[in-house]
Amino acid sequence: MGKPEVKGTVTSLSSVFPPEEMQKAAKMVEGKLSEKQNEMNQLKEFIADNTSLINLVQKLPDELHHDIMVPFGKAAFFPGRLIHTNEFLVLLGESYYADRTAKQTVEILKRRGKSLMSKVDALKAEMQDLKAEASFFDSTASEVADDLVEIREYEEDNSTERVSQSGPVELESPSVAEADNKVSASEDDEYARLMSRLEELEKEELAAEDEDANANATETETDSDEDELTEAAFHRKKVEGYSSLDHNQRYLVSQPRKQLQQSKGKDPMNEEMSTTYNHQDLTNQLACTGLTAEPVTKGEISRGRIVHQDTKMLNPPVNASVPSEKTSLKQIIHDSSRNEKPVQTPKSEFDSSKAFTGSIIEHTENLEKKLPEQKTTSSQSSDSKPSKPVSRFKMQRK
Amino acid sequence: MSSSSTALRELQRDLENKANDLSKLQKDIAKNHQVRKKYTIQLGENELVLKELDLLNEDANVYKLIGPVLVKQDLAEANANVRKRIEYISAELKRLDSSLQDLEEKQHSKREAILKVQQRIQAGKAKA
Repeated sequence: MGKPEVKGTVTSLSSVFPPEEMQKAAKMVEGKLSEKQNEMNQLKEFIADNTSLINLVQKLPDELHHDIMVPFGKAAFFPGRLIHTNEFLVLLGESYYADRTAKQTVEILKRRGKSLMSKVDALKAEMQDLKAEASFFDSTASEVADDLVEIREYEEDNSTERVSQSGPVELESPSVAEADNKVSASEDDEYARLMSRLEELEKEELAAEDEDANANATETETDSDEDELTEAAFHRKKVEGYSSLDHNQRYLVSQPRKQLQQSKGKDPMNEEMSTTYNHQDLTNQLACTGLTAEPVTKGEISRGRIVHQDTKMLNPPVNASVPSEKTSLKQIIHDSSRNEKPVQTPKSEFDSSKAFTGSIIEHTENLEKKLPEQKTTSSQSSDSKPSKPVSRFKMQRK
Repeated sequence: MSSSSTALRELQRDLENKANDLSKLQKDIAKNHQVRKKYTIQLGENELVLKELDLLNEDANVYKLIGPVLVKQDLAEANANVRKRIEYISAELKRLDSSLQDLEEKQHSKREAILKVQQRIQAGKAKA
């Protein structure tokens, strides 16, 4: 058996997050933030007015009549009296008024105050989200400026067969960073390779019962190579060389993108999977980088970006890779990418001893050999059944 | 070739027209958004009024401001009016939603058409 091979990619951050776009995105977020700040100030003014009005209304019925200076026109007053001090004509809204006593008016005003407060709270939450985004942009911008480089390493256990077969495949892996168009291999070719790879991997699964939580590595940005993906999916080690959290983001976002291609219906699942994965990966990352704002950012971003195509932060390479994915081997890609995704999230829930756990989503049309579904969530969106009568996967065995 | 250059010019004119249409569509969409916002706010306000009216006693005086005149209204009547207004606003919102969708679809198809014309122009330029 071969010893674990370590493949890796080195990506320069600036190629992934071009500085101009980062700045643009940062400016947009700042603009939005200032808008929200203005709204917040306005709401606070309303609340202040409301409270002072409540005080006034409460004081008026203390006297039978008040002597006041009554405004007269634009620039004059005359002395007068305020009578009927307990009767108020209160505006209910939409040009409807009602006669109320002081106490009832105070109640109405208090209810208005409550609704204002809830609006303020909602605004605060939005502002916090925006701030998290802004901090993320700032950090990535500084990282890009520092010319930080992202390093990814994959560790795999290689069977002899795999070594021979994966030789050509692994050669391509270093180029994954820039590859947009590696998927030019013929469909049948890749398909056949994929099939054989799947077989091998199934065997490996059996062999790798006590593999540690390896599957939580990040996924590559591009699906330049199907085979590489599948094997990476199954046997990824957590990257040691993380220099930034960006690729987490990428992982988060690019995975949902792949999912996006498949079906929108899977998005909720993807979201929750990505967020759960997100959190566990994040805690690791936080140890490395000490950024605490990330969880919010990530959750927000994965939420926000999954459904949306026009991500500001999303890198052109990912964007480019997405169409290239689309144009070739759609289903195979989907399948493998779905394999990846389920692999990682369930790690947090399942035995970490399983090399490949979690939901595998299959396409019935394409693959004859199915990776049997291990999770119901994954099987929701797919209607596949394992074609092989004997399930070789732990989930079904156990 | 003069024929290709005239064809090219035609294509460019076509492109301009399509671009104008697209900008019109975008303006429509923006207007739609605005009107929707207004209606949503009004809907919220009306629901507030309904809540307050429900809290009033039967014999409380309710007035409606019609222009410069404050007119006394019956509580039941006021309730009915507010409810009808809420229904009307929700129906309007739904209508706006569907028209917004239409507009967005049209915008999308316009964009694609523009792309095609641009491609043809590129091809024409490449040949010439």
